[in-house]
Amino acid sequence: MTEAMDAAPACRIECGSRASRLAGALVLLFLMAGASMPFWAEPASLRALAEFFYVLALAQMWNLLAGYGGMVSIGQQAFVGLGGYTLVVLGLHAGVNPFLAVPAGGIVAGLLALPAGCVLFRLRGAYFAIGTWVMAEVFRQVIANITAVGGGSGLSVTRAVATIPTWWRQSLTFWCALLLGGGATFLVYALLRSRYGLALTAVRDSEPASASLGVSVRKVKWFVYVISAVGCGMTGALIFITKLRISPDAAFSPDWSALMFFVVVIGGIGTIEGPIVGALLYFALREMLGGFGTWYLIALGILTVAVMLWAPKGIWGSLVSRYDLRLFPVQRRLRPVDDERDATPPAVITAAPCAGTLKA
Amino acid sequence: MSEKTAGQSIEETAGGRRRAIKTLGGIALASLLPAPWVRAASTVKIGYVSPQTGPLAVFAEPDAYTLAQVKRALAGGLRIGGQNYAVEIIYKDSQSNSNRAAEVTADLILKDKVDIVVAASTPETTNPVADQCELNGVPCVTNDTPWQPHFFGRGGDPKKGFEWTYHFFWGLEDIIGVYANLWEQIPTSKTVGALWPNDSDGNAWGDGKMGFPPVLQKKGFKLVDKGRYQSPSDNFSTYLNEFKKSGVDIVTGVVPPPDFANFWSQAGQQGFRPKIVTVAKASEFPAAIEAFGDRAAGLSVEVWWSPAHPFRSSLTGQSSAQLAADYTKASGRQWTMPLAFKHALFEVAVDALKRAEGKNPAAIRNAIRQTNLPTMVGPVNFRTGPVPNISKTPLVGGQWTRKGKNLELVIVENSQAPMVPVQGKLVPIA
Repeated sequence: MTEAMDAAPACRIECGSRASRLAGALVLLFLMAGASMPFWAEPASLRALAEFFYVLALAQMWNLLAGYGGMVSIGQQAFVGLGGYTLVVLGLHAGVNPFLAVPAGGIVAGLLALPAGCVLFRLRGAYFAIGTWVMAEVFRQVIANITAVGGGSGLSVTRAVATIPTWWRQSLTFWCALLLGGGATFLVYALLRSRYGLALTAVRDSEPASASLGVSVRKVKWFVYVISAVGCGMTGALIFITKLRISPDAAFSPDWSALMFFVVVIGGIGTIEGPIVGALLYFALREMLGGFGTWYLIALGILTVAVMLWAPKGIWGSLVSRYDLRLFPVQRRLRPVDDERDATPPAVITAAPCAGTLKA
Repeated sequence: MSEKTAGQSIEETAGGRRRAIKTLGGIALASLLPAPWVRAASTVKIGYVSPQTGPLAVFAEPDAYTLAQVKRALAGGLRIGGQNYAVEIIYKDSQSNSNRAAEVTADLILKDKVDIVVAASTPETTNPVADQCELNGVPCVTNDTPWQPHFFGRGGDPKKGFEWTYHFFWGLEDIIGVYANLWEQIPTSKTVGALWPNDSDGNAWGDGKMGFPPVLQKKGFKLVDKGRYQSPSDNFSTYLNEFKKSGVDIVTGVVPPPDFANFWSQAGQQGFRPKIVTVAKASEFPAAIEAFGDRAAGLSVEVWWSPAHPFRSSLTGQSSAQLAADYTKASGRQWTMPLAFKHALFEVAVDALKRAEGKNPAAIRNAIRQTNLPTMVGPVNFRTGPVPNISKTPLVGGQWTRKGKNLELVIVENSQAPMVPVQGKLVPIA
């Protein structure tokens, strides 16, 4: 024990809790059980879960961008579409296994995100949002005028997908979705617990302040923007393996962004659990109200507006502020050391800035 | 009640409960196991995908009527391969969106486990639905998309065709024939202005090899084609200027209703007065063109079905005129062309189910393949089409004419389908 420690009451940085460790273990268990699903579950459940996981992947990518990076994009469909068209070029024209288009779609999206970012990072706030949308429209128009990939009519990738035996197709789709959904969640979690996460949230809260602390604002933004594009691109390729038919209107549809927006905002923006809760709610609502046609869409819209007005933190955010429950903790919190067993605080905080509160 | 009997009944209930628990446990266990083979054996399920909502909703207007009518006709069930089945129709909304159409079809196939899928209304619906069925090995019948965008748009090979998916409608050759013959009826500058959007239909119609351009050239028409426009579009000034400059007398295209509304009102404002306007999609529906008021009369369009078509239903025995009248009586609406095609969709499906040797996908598929049925929209036979899996239906041309309060479609051209009687001659737009 150092002298400083004796002087100031002991406290430590906490990045986890018993609940979070339990949650981590449970999630791992679920994922392992999930991976074996193709061997015992019905194709219908596989498909439903695959859809859940790819929606989760999209939502996590948007959450990373908007909730943690502060970059509200309404044009992530650009990368979903690029992933989808990578599938067309690779699967249909080059004749490779369509599932290889999943990683390839990520690479293509990432590569195109670089020049896109060049233009977009000159804009901020609402202008950035509009800019991302315009960017997606540009991609849509360009693809709509390339006849080799079907132009405005679009085309079917059935021929490429049909080369894979049914069981393998269903299982691979499911495993890819599981990897993307689980992977996206884990990636955001790991990223935010690293030093980049600190830099990222700092940039979100104030660009000048974080720059003055030595954070390279531009680099951080680039990093997150490209990661989000790669995630959306990979997911896009997988989505169109299940849809079979692709057209510029379907691939670059603003509906994809609306979906991400809904799931994240309802679930809780800026939390890792939020998109999971939001995606569950989205599927529950669709199951219950999907038959009501236009009214279903109106209901989703009203719900989103209501949540933004009265519970801006979303469902999970509201739960957290009430019960202090964090399953994927990424915040660093100071906790008094009341327990002799783990009384070895990290040296960093021996100055104990939380002393005042502890005495109170 | 005596004590003894009371005691007995308690014992019996206890035994009953034990038995019940055992059975329940068994059911619970069985339902946990993935058991695709325990399908309900006594029901045949028909999945139906249609754009109930969204920009294509007008196509689905007759759905409620058609479904009620089909359910009534099948109330007694169907006999398939010597066994009686109740019929269940599961109706899904594509929201006029091809992504959603694919999704609900996969749902129908994997979750509802339908025995056959039917779908109609534009490539945005029929193509994704047929793709899902083809991949998952489920028999599928579609209509109301010209056959080229459906067959070639899905990468069809004329030598091989498809395994599971069948389609009946007219093709580009029919509509080109109808339009060209229609335009030759009155003297014009023979200059045609084209409004073809950059979508499945527009690209097929404007195609330099399969579409309108080569035929028009052969027939001595001059074509003014500024290229495919991006739909939706709210400004057609450049098109209007070009059309005026080149002396266009005839306007054609395959235009979504909102786009055509913009075009036609801007044409009015900018003083562009063509003699003939024959635009598919936009002017197929009385409700859509009624919005133009006085400027609606005189528009011409291809006609896939009308109350004057000399056909009868194989399902209800109604004639075309009777179907239209019954629809108006039941719904209070004027007849539209999709009405008969929705009806025919179920005619073909029910006929195939009746002839199938059993309720399995291959048997139903084989029955569809052997279809030779006179329907409400003409004879359907998938073995006589221009390419495999396709059957063609007759196409004529008509003009909207004001009769009292209503706009009525008068047949003015029947070169491609002489069995449909002509009711008048084409009149230039006033």
